[in-house]
Amino acid sequence: MNQSVWGPVHREMTDLLQGHPDDVPAVVDQLRALQEVLGHVPPLLVGNPLCDFNKLYLTITEGVLERLYAGKFKDPAFLSRLDVEFAARYFDALRAWAGAGTSPRCPEVWACLFQRIPGPDCRPLPSACAGVNAHINFDLPFALVTTFDHLGTDPIDESDQHHDYLEINDIFAEAIPGLRRGYLEKWQLLIDTMNGCLDDWWQGEAVEYTRNVAWRNAQKLWGVRHDMLATDRERAGLDRTAAGLSKLLLSPLGSFLQ
Amino acid sequence: MSSEEDGPLVGRADTLTQIQSDLHSAGPGGTSAVFVTGESGVGKSRLLRETAVAMRDAGFAVLSGMCLDIGDASPLHPVLQALRQFDHNVQPAGDAGALLDRVSQDLRAVAGDRRLLLVLDDLQWADRSTRQLLLYLLAGLGDVRIAVLAAVRAEALQGAHPLRKVLAELRRLRSVRVVDLAPLDRDRTVELVGAITGGKADAEDADRVYKRSGGNPFVAEELARDLRDGRVELSDTLREIFLSRVDELPPHAHSVVHAIAAGVEPVGHDVLARVVPLSEAELIEAVRAAVDHRIVTGADDGYRLRHRLVAEILAAEVLPAEATVLHRQYALALEPSAGTPAEPDHARLAHHWQKAGEPGRALPSVVAAARSAEELYGFTEAHRYWSSALELTTDAAPERTELLAHAAESAHQCGEHLRALSRLDDLSRRPDAPSQCDLHLRRARYLAAAGRTATAEAEYERALEAPDCSPRQRASAAAYLAELLLHLGRYADANARAVDALEMAEVNGSTADLVRASAALGFSAAFREDPDAGLAVIRNAVDIAERSGHPDELGVAYLHLAELLAGPLNNIEEGVLVARRGAARLASLGAGRTYQTRLLAIAANGLFRVGQWGEADTVLEAAMRHRPSGADAVELLLARCRLWVGFGDVQAAHRDLDAVATLLAGGGARHVLPMLTLRAGLAMWQGEHATARAAVQRGLTETRSDDLVLIGVLAWHGLRAEAEAHAAGQPVDAGALRRLTVAVERMAAGVGNAALPVRGVIDGYLDLCAAELSRVEGRQDPAPWAKAATTWDKRRQPYPAAYSRLRQAEAALRRKSRKTAAIGALREAYATATAMGARPFAAEIVSVAHRYKVTLADDVPTREFPAPGTGEADELSLLTVREREVLAAVAEGLTNREIGERLFISERTVGVHVGHIFDKLQVRTRVQASRVFLTAA
Repeated sequence: MNQSVWGPVHREMTDLLQGHPDDVPAVVDQLRALQEVLGHVPPLLVGNPLCDFNKLYLTITEGVLERLYAGKFKDPAFLSRLDVEFAARYFDALRAWAGAGTSPRCPEVWACLFQRIPGPDCRPLPSACAGVNAHINFDLPFALVTTFDHLGTDPIDESDQHHDYLEINDIFAEAIPGLRRGYLEKWQLLIDTMNGCLDDWWQGEAVEYTRNVAWRNAQKLWGVRHDMLATDRERAGLDRTAAGLSKLLLSPLGSFLQ
Repeated sequence: MSSEEDGPLVGRADTLTQIQSDLHSAGPGGTSAVFVTGESGVGKSRLLRETAVAMRDAGFAVLSGMCLDIGDASPLHPVLQALRQFDHNVQPAGDAGALLDRVSQDLRAVAGDRRLLLVLDDLQWADRSTRQLLLYLLAGLGDVRIAVLAAVRAEALQGAHPLRKVLAELRRLRSVRVVDLAPLDRDRTVELVGAITGGKADAEDADRVYKRSGGNPFVAEELARDLRDGRVELSDTLREIFLSRVDELPPHAHSVVHAIAAGVEPVGHDVLARVVPLSEAELIEAVRAAVDHRIVTGADDGYRLRHRLVAEILAAEVLPAEATVLHRQYALALEPSAGTPAEPDHARLAHHWQKAGEPGRALPSVVAAARSAEELYGFTEAHRYWSSALELTTDAAPERTELLAHAAESAHQCGEHLRALSRLDDLSRRPDAPSQCDLHLRRARYLAAAGRTATAEAEYERALEAPDCSPRQRASAAAYLAELLLHLGRYADANARAVDALEMAEVNGSTADLVRASAALGFSAAFREDPDAGLAVIRNAVDIAERSGHPDELGVAYLHLAELLAGPLNNIEEGVLVARRGAARLASLGAGRTYQTRLLAIAANGLFRVGQWGEADTVLEAAMRHRPSGADAVELLLARCRLWVGFGDVQAAHRDLDAVATLLAGGGARHVLPMLTLRAGLAMWQGEHATARAAVQRGLTETRSDDLVLIGVLAWHGLRAEAEAHAAGQPVDAGALRRLTVAVERMAAGVGNAALPVRGVIDGYLDLCAAELSRVEGRQDPAPWAKAATTWDKRRQPYPAAYSRLRQAEAALRRKSRKTAAIGALREAYATATAMGARPFAAEIVSVAHRYKVTLADDVPTREFPAPGTGEADELSLLTVREREVLAAVAEGLTNREIGERLFISERTVGVHVGHIFDKLQVRTRVQASRVFLTAA
């Protein structure tokens, strides 16, 4: 490609993405380095929507690391692996991104957000939310499946792993950008709407809710994981649904969040 | 495939050279691998072909296999298929490990004295067994000097593809490269267009080709051909290009192409002849036309579409009804006929019948495919076949009960615990379900495997209470339950249950139940601080197994006895003896390979701990000759690596660590902690404190192991790394130190709850940690080190004891206090280090001695270390190092008790040694033995 989507930081971006972090501290380092590089992507610089998401993600991962160090998880092996697998998918999407229409390997849901990097300007909160949506509704179930596969255990409800997994919800709740309560509720409302499960609106447990959707999806994927065709079908389906939500988040409608 | 069929290769020269050089330069384990990833059409297969040719010219034996995309492929398909081209038909073997060994033998036979290149295309479709085989070979366990070159579609790696995980782990190894093949850039695309059109395309057209193809060489090549052949308007998509090409074909060729598209490649000529209703001459002409139009390629094993992309395009074009007819014809063509006695290819047959919409006819093939997958230990594949067999039948079908039982068991075997349980629920609802007791027993087994121990315990209880439970089943259930309770650390409950189980098993049980119950009773008694009673029970179990003479029972019984002695009872010396005797006994029966391996692993670990490293090395070498696989292989490699770290053989240590990492890429988180500990230990001898620190920190944060011994070793390594960093004038990592202290506090808090025999070891590590901490804090205090040395002396483990002495001496010399004691300690440590062959440790002692001008060699001559395993070729060479020591003492006229005191072993163990010495020297009295010793010496 003659013209990189990353413009003047093409080199830094390529070098950075050479890294495949394999433990949580390394993930934090890579996200931190990425934050630096992303802040130099023209024309919006630090105002670009990916920057907003990355910042949120960095905060959350730092939170995970802190809790790992503090021994807050029942199964740190599971959680570390999950964190690494989870991040790997974000880095993969970045690696695959070569511009709109020419990135067959970049999931649609990430492409929605990446496309907006050059503008038009988008409010930070919906941008971060679109990233969270891509990462949770699309990447997370797959990261869970790979992690369980790695550790040789099943995704079982009420297990230690499930407990730890839900623990992350607290980190999200703490981290979503210094959110005043009001924002969070609006955001929950939107995500719940998009998941199409109107019954759950009033429960006001958006992050928990979507993350539980991811857990359920992972259980579903787990059952078909040896069937490549079925897995592919599921992946395409998840990508479509999540991309639909992201487009909405990034549309003018999404700005009511701010 | 002739090279003129391929277009010019543009822009890949550097990659090609790099791949070849990567494949040539085998890692320390003698293996290398390159995985090429990239989107469809980017040129992976082409790169594979070019490399294969070049490597063959360079003297490699080249073996090529292709993975199938029919979803259900048979286990090891690509490798077995590749071997068949060399007329090697791999036969089923005794167990999964033996099968891997057999495949390796065939690979070695094909390679002869050349290095072997195994080329695998479309690896994303490889079955689980194939992935496991790859890891086994790359870890060097097959003893095949192999280079692996594989192509993986990048699209497939999205999501949760199992290869993703494997590649992520392998990427870190030096002998493995993952090459991401990018599309061509603008200049290269223009160059490609120029090469195809003979330079006749103008710049504008070439640019359009670039834009439309996005630099994908396959698409660019076809677009350029359109340009060259004067097709006026460039097609917009690949689909259009190929559909128009296919449309141009003569009618017969057209049907041939569609038939191949519906088949499973490669499609053999005879099969094709039965699928397409054409005369011989017409068929050959039609195939010729399809090849000329560059849609189809032919090879010895059959026809393929030129590119998978073409197959995908055509598949979308065929009407469902047309496809059904074609699949039906394929199925009929593949059905065994009277003339061909050979087994049909059940995987393909099942595929076609299912696609032909005739599930009833698919069923026999699916079941046959499931059974043959089980024969090859492909439980994952077998499980999928059993599942599809279930999909093909309704509740009314009488065979469904049996299918459900198979589906449940295969799910359990391949670790699909939830699935196994739900199949079992379905099974229990059948009118002709197995007995209640049987169902409870199975459910309990599945639950225990899934780690749901509380429910598993309840199921065993239910099995015991079931009215239809036979006495034999009851004995079996009780024995399993006792074993489960033991694993849960509920020693009192386990003990009570084991007593019951043993009573029942003595009357009604099988030997296996008896051995299981005895083991549970023995261990629980030992943990409940009645070691002698425990030991007696297990010794009795060994006698029972000896009488039955059954290899599995013997293996289990010896294993339990050796584990009990070397572990909780800390009678390492005798544990080692028992383990070696058990292994020899099984070897004499020519059976129980897995048990022999495990017994030798126990012996080697014991020998390492008592400081007989040369002997441990010999034992490990013998164990590796059994060609272990899976977890057994990992354990042996870790044990051997620990020796290399101790001996200071950096290269060998790295080789084994890489091999472990390779095997762990297929799963196996429980071995991560020992691996990280060794990585840290190795890094420390090399002065790489940061690497050591990172390894330990990863171990501390990423494990939930409640094994305090493992944590203890790891924490000690971590603190030692900080202490060494401090000593080298580098900064101590405060965060790391804090987390290490937390881990040590957790150990100290937990040690009270540990079983008594384990407590001693943990105390030893707690002492080491406390002492290292004093070093980190810069207190030059010999006292904590002296305490650690005493603790490890009591445990009779010379290595940590000698290490403590070194540090004790160092601190004292630094303080200039108690110099005589310090010099004594230093000399003692040095004697131990040299006796073990612990080179880096000895070097460390020497450097401390130099620093404080201490002569080490008053009475111990400084000498070269003998290479491990070399002994004099006399009668005494049959004896182990320890046996020789005992014999020397016998020759001095000492009694067993006196020898025991001198060598710090029990009188009983001396007796066992003496017995072995008599056997080996073929003598019957101490005097005769002494004579042999004195003559040889």
